[in-house]
Amino acid sequence: MAIAVPVRGAHSSPNVRKLLRTYSFGFALVLALALLIANLLTQSSFGWTEQLATFAPLAIGAMASTPSIISGRGGFDLTISPLMTFISILFVSWLVPAGLGGYVAIPILLAIGAACGAINGLIIVGLRVPPMVVTLSTYFIFIGIDLKTTPTPVTLQGNWISDFGGSVGPIPGALFTILLPLAIWGLLGLVPYKRILYAVGSNDATAFSSGVNVSAVRVGAYALGGLFAAIGGFAITALVSSADAGTASSYTLVAVAAVALGGTSLAGGRGGVLGSLIGAACIYLLQSLLNAVQINSTWLQVMYGVMLLIAVVFGAALTRAQKEAR
Amino acid sequence: MSAADLTAAPMAAPPREPVLLSVTAMAKAFGPTQALRDCSFELRAGEVHALVGENGSGKSTLVKILSGVHAPDAGTIALDGDSGADLRNPRAAQASGIVTVFQEVLVAEARSVLDNVWLGVDSLLRARVSKADKRERATAALAELLDRPPSLDTAVEDLSLSDRQAIGIVRALLRRPRILILDEATSALDIETRDRLFAIVQRLGREGVGVVLITHRMDEIDQICDRITVMRSGETVGMLARGEWSSQVLVQMMTGSDRLTEGARSQAPGAEQRVGDVVLEARALQLAPGRTPFDLRLRAGELVGLAGLEGHGQSEFLEALWGMGSTAGEVVRIGANGEAAVRSPAQAAAQDIAYVPRERRRDSIFHWMSIRENFALPTLTKDRRKRLLSTAAGRKRLDEYVEQLNIVLGSPDDAITTLSGGNQQKVIIARWLATGPRVLLLNDPTRGIDVNAKHDLYQLLTRLASEGLAVVMLSTELDEHIELMDRVLVFREHELFREHDRASLTRAALLASFFGEEGDADGDRSAG
Repeated sequence: MAIAVPVRGAHSSPNVRKLLRTYSFGFALVLALALLIANLLTQSSFGWTEQLATFAPLAIGAMASTPSIISGRGGFDLTISPLMTFISILFVSWLVPAGLGGYVAIPILLAIGAACGAINGLIIVGLRVPPMVVTLSTYFIFIGIDLKTTPTPVTLQGNWISDFGGSVGPIPGALFTILLPLAIWGLLGLVPYKRILYAVGSNDATAFSSGVNVSAVRVGAYALGGLFAAIGGFAITALVSSADAGTASSYTLVAVAAVALGGTSLAGGRGGVLGSLIGAACIYLLQSLLNAVQINSTWLQVMYGVMLLIAVVFGAALTRAQKEAR
Repeated sequence: MSAADLTAAPMAAPPREPVLLSVTAMAKAFGPTQALRDCSFELRAGEVHALVGENGSGKSTLVKILSGVHAPDAGTIALDGDSGADLRNPRAAQASGIVTVFQEVLVAEARSVLDNVWLGVDSLLRARVSKADKRERATAALAELLDRPPSLDTAVEDLSLSDRQAIGIVRALLRRPRILILDEATSALDIETRDRLFAIVQRLGREGVGVVLITHRMDEIDQICDRITVMRSGETVGMLARGEWSSQVLVQMMTGSDRLTEGARSQAPGAEQRVGDVVLEARALQLAPGRTPFDLRLRAGELVGLAGLEGHGQSEFLEALWGMGSTAGEVVRIGANGEAAVRSPAQAAAQDIAYVPRERRRDSIFHWMSIRENFALPTLTKDRRKRLLSTAAGRKRLDEYVEQLNIVLGSPDDAITTLSGGNQQKVIIARWLATGPRVLLLNDPTRGIDVNAKHDLYQLLTRLASEGLAVVMLSTELDEHIELMDRVLVFREHELFREHDRASLTRAALLASFFGEEGDADGDRSAG
């Protein structure tokens, strides 16, 4: 019914553009499906449970990086990767020995993750420092804490969290950790927050003058990223059955690449968590495919770069079309 | 509301409605600029109150304070007689019933019409208006304002500029304001939408809403306003009721009649003795789509002023002369070696056209560099001695201009920021004079500089013109045009509206042209 009304002031093929805008992860989706088929063809035994467990930290890292980017004004959170490791260390080295290794750890760790994200947000909003600088600083701080507290990996044995790396009944456990951020993001659509977040990312001056508490919205976005990062912490712990400071920086840039690949605008206001998940799938599946056909892994980085570049050019073409309509 | 028992304001008798808003002795400074000094304002229920003044007279600052964007340095704001009103931020101001449509078109481009018109109403976690209500009320409000309202789910970036501005207005109307402020909110609207807006404004007035209207258009004021408050240099200089105003009275109040006598001229030699060959020609130049193209010839030794209300195309024209995009037509530089088109600033520079931009701090000054460096940058090649750069040579070149332009400085190696605004501007002009231009384009060069520096600049420009330089200067000050220019081009709605030569250069005639009045006869002194 919405499309029945002709869009005034728009240029050629507004419907195509509208479609691409709504499904900005279209490119990534097509690519991911193609890569998945290629993977299934080249690998006779594509172990879903195992593959998903390996994929989970990257996927969740990408989703955790998304809300801050959507919030606009150079919103960015580099701390996601070390924060995931930090959560893992908190669980293995502190909560489990303290007898809090049960399900009670879930709310504790989620709260800590959200609080860490909120601290980033508060510094960015309160001091008006560019997010890149703030989170680069906290990135190093987190990595330092990770290394200091866990110089050598601490193994975890016989804990419920390992199920996330294996399977729960017939269901791959990693599906729970991967789908949880997606579910939270979806449920957020039931309250006004998410719409307001997109509006702030699209034009914060408009939001401010309309009476939106822009600072609170931004801090919320970073807290949400932190919350998702805590879920990522579960996924990492499940994958390696230990807390390992060596993973602290593993997912930093590749997560951002996944966000961009998934159609989220780095300028804010457009995109979403689902896109980031699909973007992460592209990166993961490409890696997996190159392994399977035994191409030298040094080419992997080059391929990431080329893929990202294509995605960014694709996105830029969209943005240009929008500017012309002005 | 028990409005009747409120104490009536002591001053004006006719409007008996209660006072909704009263501002007294308001002051606000931004750094060294005093945007408001002594501003008083009163708004009654049910009236449409125009706020008028020249650019930079403080209207927008007052509006931003009332809207909770800025906090005042001094003064009181009373809402319904209560001076404790909370206007800390836009949200608080809106909760107090003050809703503003700003001059800038404020929309979240990537979001839908529905999201945009209801932006800021909900709290973060709880909707204050149900979804069905939102759609229904938004549809109704859009239909009242727009002849062909867009679908609620259209992304705002797909709308025309006029419709985007309308979205901002609908957003304000949906708040059910008690005080509605329209800060040049009509400038982007098409005529039809504007008329519909005025009908809405009049309906709101009947319902007891107070409306503040900021506009540069006399016809709009005549059409719907009940009272006018005039501002000048951050002060309110008077309030007029319907029947007390005419464009002439307003102009006089806006400009201040005490500044200069009409037609006072400098004693420069007459244009006839100075003006030489055509050096620059605009052919069928069109400043915006759909506007009438026009021609212009600029001669050596001529001082040409560009005037008009802010944003009516004079800036675009000046930039077009510098090779920056006009919609259609061409600019041709006519020199000793024949004609050559000017299609980019680089070509302009190569053909001895110099441009002094408007925003000194942003577009001209390298604030971390010294005075000499700021001066010498585009002409550094002149300072080469034995293939090396000589700072002494640059200093020597600067010295000439320091003397000529009366630049007051400590050492040429001090930071440029140690200079006053006027002296900074002189350094920038010296920078471009050093390139040896034949055409000098200036975009409001005297904005924000003191009177003495202004007079130095006037003298300089007059002398340069008498030496054969063609000068085109955009100015927002009427007196500059009257005192300095050989002719003044008045722009209106991105067209060349009128050309005033020296004989018809009076403040009244210029302002009449600003407001689109044709005058009694062509180029006469009718208003004098």
